[in-house]
Order: sequence, then structure tokens, then C-alpha cells
Amino acid sequence: MSTLQYNRLCFHLKLAILWMLFSGAVFCIHVFASTTEVETNSDAGKFIMKSYFENYESLHDSSFEDFMAHQLSSSLCQGIPDNWNVGVRLSVRELSLVGEGSHRHLSSSIRLQIAAASIPKLPAHLCEVIVIQRLPLGVFADPFELQNPHKHKAFRDIAVFGDTNLELPSFQSNRSAVEFHIDAGFNILFMQNNGTEFNLLLPLDARYQPLDESGYSVVEIGEPDMLMRCSVEGKQHKQSCLFMSPPNEKAKSTSATVAWKIPAGMKVPRCPKLEATNFSVINFVIRRQILHICS
Amino acid sequence: MISLKPRSILLISAIFRVGLILFGEWQDTHVEVRYTDVDYLVFSDAASLMASGQSPYKRTTYRYSPLLAFLLIPNSFTSRCWGKFLFSASDLFVGLFIRIILKQRKVPDDLCTYSMLIWLFNPFTFTIGTRGNCEPIVCAMILWIIICLNNGNVVQAAFWYGLIVHFRIYPIIYALPIIIFLDPCFFRSGTKPLLSDWTSDQGKARQINSELTDKCVVCDALKSTFTRSRILFGLISGTVFLLCTGFFFRLYGWEFLHEALLYHLTRTDPRHNFSIYFYHIYLNYERELSVLEKLISFLPQFIVQLVLILCFAKDLVFCFFVQTVAFVAFNKVITAQYFVWFFCLLPLILPWSNMKLKWKGLCCILLWMGAQTHWLLWGYLLEFKGKNVFLQLWMASLLFLAANTFILIVLIRHHNYGPVFRQHTDLKTTKTT
Repeated sequence: MSTLQYNRLCFHLKLAILWMLFSGAVFCIHVFASTTEVETNSDAGKFIMKSYFENYESLHDSSFEDFMAHQLSSSLCQGIPDNWNVGVRLSVRELSLVGEGSHRHLSSSIRLQIAAASIPKLPAHLCEVIVIQRLPLGVFADPFELQNPHKHKAFRDIAVFGDTNLELPSFQSNRSAVEFHIDAGFNILFMQNNGTEFNLLLPLDARYQPLDESGYSVVEIGEPDMLMRCSVEGKQHKQSCLFMSPPNEKAKSTSATVAWKIPAGMKVPRCPKLEATNFSVINFVIRRQILHICS
Repeated sequence: MISLKPRSILLISAIFRVGLILFGEWQDTHVEVRYTDVDYLVFSDAASLMASGQSPYKRTTYRYSPLLAFLLIPNSFTSRCWGKFLFSASDLFVGLFIRIILKQRKVPDDLCTYSMLIWLFNPFTFTIGTRGNCEPIVCAMILWIIICLNNGNVVQAAFWYGLIVHFRIYPIIYALPIIIFLDPCFFRSGTKPLLSDWTSDQGKARQINSELTDKCVVCDALKSTFTRSRILFGLISGTVFLLCTGFFFRLYGWEFLHEALLYHLTRTDPRHNFSIYFYHIYLNYERELSVLEKLISFLPQFIVQLVLILCFAKDLVFCFFVQTVAFVAFNKVITAQYFVWFFCLLPLILPWSNMKLKWKGLCCILLWMGAQTHWLLWGYLLEFKGKNVFLQLWMASLLFLAANTFILIVLIRHHNYGPVFRQHTDLKTTKTT
């Protein structure tokens, strides 16, 4: 190739690359001006789990329940009639695992019921339903999958808290939790007598499990924790009020856990007799070799 | 015979890649399964953090040099496709560099064109860049180093080599062959080394060069190992590497060292991958591996690399290729993106191979793809159907290693080996014969 041809080739290549960059940039800017994205882990103080992890290092059921009890008691709205709390019912109508293999979806159907008398008093457009799905050790939710705008545009906010390291096996990881915020305004305004329903589809991935003789490990996922939060005008300033179903109401909900069977490396059971036999055979062979060398 | 001009090939490749990138953006927005690689999201997030003055290592699983995040900073304020365009442009440069390297050795035009097409229209390679994987940058830099060495430009080659080792650790395996390649018989101060040309009669070329090679090995051993070009290469590449590493260590501390360097040197992944070691690592992940176990996984890699270097260092490109194939095949972790490391070198060795596509070449391709597909089948059953097929998957890894080894041996046996350079006295030798 002559120098002139080489220079012309380089020039054309540069032109092609510049055109490529320019057209791509124009198109992408146009495309992204019209798409929406799910915000995750945004404003401080907005997520309940963020507050939890500011006080605790890892997720434990007992610590979480203590924390929630404290949160509810400290968020009692001053000057708001107590009968508001009685009117709110959040329950899980259905909980199931959809799909096969290591990547599945946790499908939950949540019913919100509010006493008719309470509805007119609620600032519906400032209310949201908060669902906290605590995950066991063996599974995790991929924060990047939750950012997919195609799937999660119905939610105001979604975030994952806790151990979000995607690579660790379950025996080296900690638990995590996913918090959903769903705008409840429309649903409250047009609520029927039997309440309104929200459907959640949470993508989950299985971690590598501890070894097991059966070759499988079973992981159980329980019901999510649910509450409603409304921003109310208090006497002096705006405040957030949390509403949760009374404990005795939770017992009425349907099946509490779903089980996920995940493949695990097979642990070979120890056989002392076999080990002893192997040892004596090896011992015998070594002795014979030594005798053969010495003779 | 193909009559496409190189600029037409590059232009069509560029348009094709733009189309793929735009299609990828559409797919990400409208279809459940993303086109974009997860790694690209990692790079972009790290770049955003860097743009806002924070450490890119705040982004979990970002295990690259801060240079990569720096290159992708425009993702934050122009378009998030910037990185993909950058990687695809590097992809095109690889195609151009393949042609330049082959023309340096006076390979005929039709073979150059085929070699360019093998890279530019390989489905594996054009999806890598357009999905947002950074390997094309690495490939482009490696080929540029080869161009510099072929031109006798040791200083520039050393600079880029130091940079690429900082960027991506694996090119460190090329250090010894480069040092051997900087033979004082060919690299003399004040004179540009003479490249040996591609000839259709490869046998004749081998005979002449092998005589000279024997003489030069003796000459080299008798005189000195530490020649000017070797010392220069070592000093410059080492300085560049240490400067880059030291600078980023100053900025980001131990987190940078752990994530960008030490992680890759000590990486063991219990999750299923093509490597034969994955199942052993998983079964023993809860305990520390013994020294013997670590040695067993390291020794085959080390021995194979040493043998290949000592046999083929004079034919630098071929040495790089076989080293890379062996390095990937014997590594403790193998992912599909590692294949790009030797795909960019394959078009450079094919003009010197006497293996015909029909049918030996085709058999090798089918064997490699077949072994990979076989592994993927068991991987699919494990990951997407939830079946316990760990043992079968491990057996498929063994088969994949066997296939890689077999193909490597076949390629070596069909390669017309010859040193890249010839001595200036060659001219007198060829005139008298």
C-alpha cells in the first residue's frame, strides 16, 4: 500500500468514525429525551430500609421487627384522629414463584382496603404504599434489573438494600431487602368496597448454595411487609404518617412462604471405613515400594 | 477472489456497527432482554462517579483501571452511547491495523482483505463492541504495539505496552517473547530491522531463516542478554506502568489496587464458567485452598506458556496467538469475552497457515464451536432449568479444554514458522542462491 493510499484510507476512516459518532449522539439524545427511568436509591430519608441500615449492619428478622415497631411508634401523626389507623388494611392475596432455574420472579398480589369513612379525610394524592420484601440468604435482587424502565414504570421508586454483591455464594453473603413505593392516590380515590389490588413482579436470582448431599438446597421466601405512608399537613409543618395493618389482620392472609429448590454442589458423605481402607492400602503400597528399593 | 477495497470494507463495517448500536438502544428500551452488556452499565456508573469527583470504585464490580472510567465520562453529559461508539471505533482500528501489519510483511491484497473480513464481520467481535465491552480497545493497542515493533520503534512500543498492562493485566504474558524478539541481531542502533516478507513458497523462507536463527541464538547467548533495545523497552514500559499505577493509587488508594490489579491476579470464581477449575473451587470455597492445589492450577499454565515462548518468540505474532489461546484455555476463570483476545490475532497468522478451510479448517471451527455449544447446553440446564448438572458441566469444561488443546496443536503443525525479521546480509544470500 502506498503512502498516499494509506493516508486516504486513514482520512476516510476518520470521516466514517466522526459521522458515526455524530449520528449516534443525535439519535441517542433524541431517544433518551422521551424515555423515563426508574429512580433508585434517591432522596435520603425516603426509604425505610435506608434508615434501617443506618442503624444496623445486616438484616435480621428480629432487628427488623424491632426497627419497624420503633418506626411506627415514632411516626404517629400529632393531632390526627386515631381511627385512621383502624381503617387501613394491607394483605397479601397471593404469593408465588414464577419461572424456572436460577432466575425467577416473585409474584405478589397485595390488597389495600381502607374504611369508607376514612377515605375522604386522606390526602390521597400524597399517599403511597410501601412494600418491603425481605430476602433470605440464598437469593438476591439485581439492582440493575430493577432499573429496567420497561418493567417497572408503574412504581414511584424501587431500591435494593443490604448485600447487593452479585458474585458471592450464599454462605459468604448477607441478606438483602427490596423496597417498593407505589403511588396509591388513584387507587384510593376510586376504591371499591373490597379494596384495590397491586401486583408486584420482583426479579430474583439464586446464589450458589452450600454443598448438600441431596444436590439441592431449599430456600424459603416469606410474605412482604406492607404499610401506607401519607404526607399530611400537621399543625406546624408537613409530616409523614405511617399506617400498617394490625397484627391480628396479618394472620388472615394466604400461604405465608414460597419454596425455591436450587441446585447445589454435592457433598460426599464421609465414610470412615472407606477412608481407613484407603489409608491402609496406600500405606501398604508405600511400604512395598520402600522394601523394593532397599532390597 | 474478493475485490472490495479496504475503505469500502471499513465504511460498511462502520455503518453496520452504528446500526447495531442504535438497534441495541431500541432493544434496551422496548424489549425485556437487554442488548447492552451488564459490564457497560458498570463502566458508565463508574464514569458518572468519576465525573462527580468520586472514586469509580464506589461502583460495585468495577474492576478496571480508572482510565476506562475516564474515557467514558462523556457518557454522563453527551450520550450514554458514547462508550459504545468508542469501542466500535477501536474495533474498526483493529481491522485497519490487521491490514497494516499484513502489508508490512507484503501479504497479497486478497489475503489481507480476507483477514480484515474475518475480524470485521465475525459475529462475535462486532457484537462485543456494540454491546459495550471494552476489549476492542485492548486489541487495538496490542496490534499497534506489533506495528511499532515491526517498524523498529521500540520506545513507542514500550510506552503502549506499559499502558496496556496497566489497563488489562493479561498482556504481561507477552513480556518475555517481546524481550526475546528484540534480538540484537536485528535491532541495531541506527538501523531499522528488516521484515521478512510473506512468500507463497513458505518452505524456502523457513530454511534461510532457520540458519540465521541458529547463528543468532549462539551469538545472542555469547554476547549479551542485556542489549540497548531490551533495556530501553523494559525501562520505558515499566516506568509507564508504575507511573499510571502510582498515580491512581495516589488518587484512589488501596481500593484501586485491590479491585483493578490484585483481584485479577488472585481471582477464583466458584460460579460456573468454561474453566475446568470452577467446580473444584466451588466444592472447596468454604476453606482455603492448599499450596499444592494452587500449584496444580498454576503449573500447567506456567509450563505451557514457557514452552510456547521458547519455541515461537521469533515469530512474534504467532507466539502471541498461541500464548493467548493457551492462557485462556488453562486459566482458572474463562468467560466468553476472553476469546476476543486471540480473535484479533487470528487474522494475522492465517496467511502463514497451510491449513485449508476445506475441510481441516472447517473441522477445527466446528470442533471449537461444538465443544462450546455442548458446555452451553449443560450451563442452560443448570442456570435456566434448575437441574443439578454440575458434574456434567465440569465434564463439558474438560472437553472444551481438550478441544482447545487439539486445535492449538493442529494450528501449530500447519503454521509456516519463520522469524519476523531477517538480517541485512539476507540480501546478499538471496542474490547468490
